[in-house]
Amino acid sequence: MSFSLECKKVKRTGFTPAFLFGGLLAAVVPVLNMAVRSENYLGIHAAPVQILLDANWQMMAMLNILLIVAGACLMYHTEYADNAIQKMCTLPIKESKLFFGKVTLMLLMCIVVLVIEAASIAFCSCHWFEMTSEVWIEVMKNFGYALLLMLPSALGSLFIASVCKNMWVSLGIGVVCVFTATMLPTRSFVLSLFPFALPFQIFAGTAENTACNFMIAAVVEIIIIGIAEVLFLKVRRSFE
Amino acid sequence: MKFFSLVSIEFKKIRRSKILLILMVAAIILWLPSIFNADLNFGMQAEGISPENNFLIQGFMGMAWFMFPASMVVSTVLLNMTERSNKGILKMLSLPIATAELCLAKFVVLLALAAFQILMTALMYFVSAGIASQMQDYNFILQPLFVFKEAGLIFVSAIPMLAFFWLLSVCIKTPIFSIGIGLASIVPSVLIINTKAWFTYPMSYPFFVITSEYGKLATNLDTAQVEFIPWTPVAIVITILCLSVSCLRFGQAERR
Repeated sequence: MSFSLECKKVKRTGFTPAFLFGGLLAAVVPVLNMAVRSENYLGIHAAPVQILLDANWQMMAMLNILLIVAGACLMYHTEYADNAIQKMCTLPIKESKLFFGKVTLMLLMCIVVLVIEAASIAFCSCHWFEMTSEVWIEVMKNFGYALLLMLPSALGSLFIASVCKNMWVSLGIGVVCVFTATMLPTRSFVLSLFPFALPFQIFAGTAENTACNFMIAAVVEIIIIGIAEVLFLKVRRSFE
Repeated sequence: MKFFSLVSIEFKKIRRSKILLILMVAAIILWLPSIFNADLNFGMQAEGISPENNFLIQGFMGMAWFMFPASMVVSTVLLNMTERSNKGILKMLSLPIATAELCLAKFVVLLALAAFQILMTALMYFVSAGIASQMQDYNFILQPLFVFKEAGLIFVSAIPMLAFFWLLSVCIKTPIFSIGIGLASIVPSVLIINTKAWFTYPMSYPFFVITSEYGKLATNLDTAQVEFIPWTPVAIVITILCLSVSCLRFGQAERR
């Protein structure tokens, strides 16, 4: 019930078109890059998907994460803007259900965005590199990994958005977090576990062990943020 | 009402918005990696840049590429939301004030926020350079005049970009689109500064200017230099165009 309600809430806010457009924009990046300077990449001896992701994923992930931050701020802005959240709080449902409804919607939109991007990567590897049957499996693996690592930042930005009543505060904190993520050194494993830095990771070319660690860390972060949100809502409710 | 008092009223409106705190935190976070990685500044012989110059320019490049434009997008959201959240804009529009002046007053506030953030970055530079000097036993602190000249260059070159962001937030009523377009337009500026048509893209100006300063300071590095002739007229035209369109469009949706 909560999920379909969330879908209705974002209907006229431009949320869905923004995600579709953002996904398309990120999907254009590898195509443009290959169209303009394919000679830089064709000579490299590696799996096509890995070459493409190494060349373009930083920018695509950046677009994705900015989209997530803006989307999360918007979702809670519709609640806070005209005190709609107070009406939601009077309903006989838990306030945390609101949050998890929004998480579900965000998850769905992340999947949509990643499917668009995966299609573009698959197209690039078929068009500029030789087509093999392994490409699809590779793309699926990479984008499944990307989805899992994207979730902590999605939950994190929704958490920030639910804490702050004003949109610019949550957007400001989100932007600062994204900026921090771009400044973190990539060599350090502990620092790259920062939720907003995780989406920049690439599956292809990462040792299986490290990838596994990242996935475990992502799951742990998701659980921690979920618990933190529930606790925060309980505390805030008791002080209101 | 005089323009000056309009501007001071706009400042009063954002007094409790905590935006200065956000801008300051961003400026502090910017310099943290520079302090921890201060020793890397000594390995720049290939570029031919002195460690203290490298320390300053790397920090400023980090600011000009993402943090500063993104913070300015947040500031435009703030300026718009304070008016729209409780229909304050309707009260403002009912006053006998020219809407264009109101729009320009808000733009002046945006310029002031931009100046504040750049100033904070410059001040934090001195703090972090002092800390790095203590840690590395090497004087990283440059002449204040030089630092403020670089900071001023970033500010002046950012004015067309600010005008464009202001246009976005005035003309596009759906918040997610104005924010999304603003943030998404920052990302490709890294690519655009390497093309010949960089001067048509206002979001890349601050980054381009600071990159060319890097090229000047690093003797062995050959970055594209600022050419004033196509750039200045184009920048002025973009600024005037963005500002005049936003002045025309300001409050239109509410007055219908």
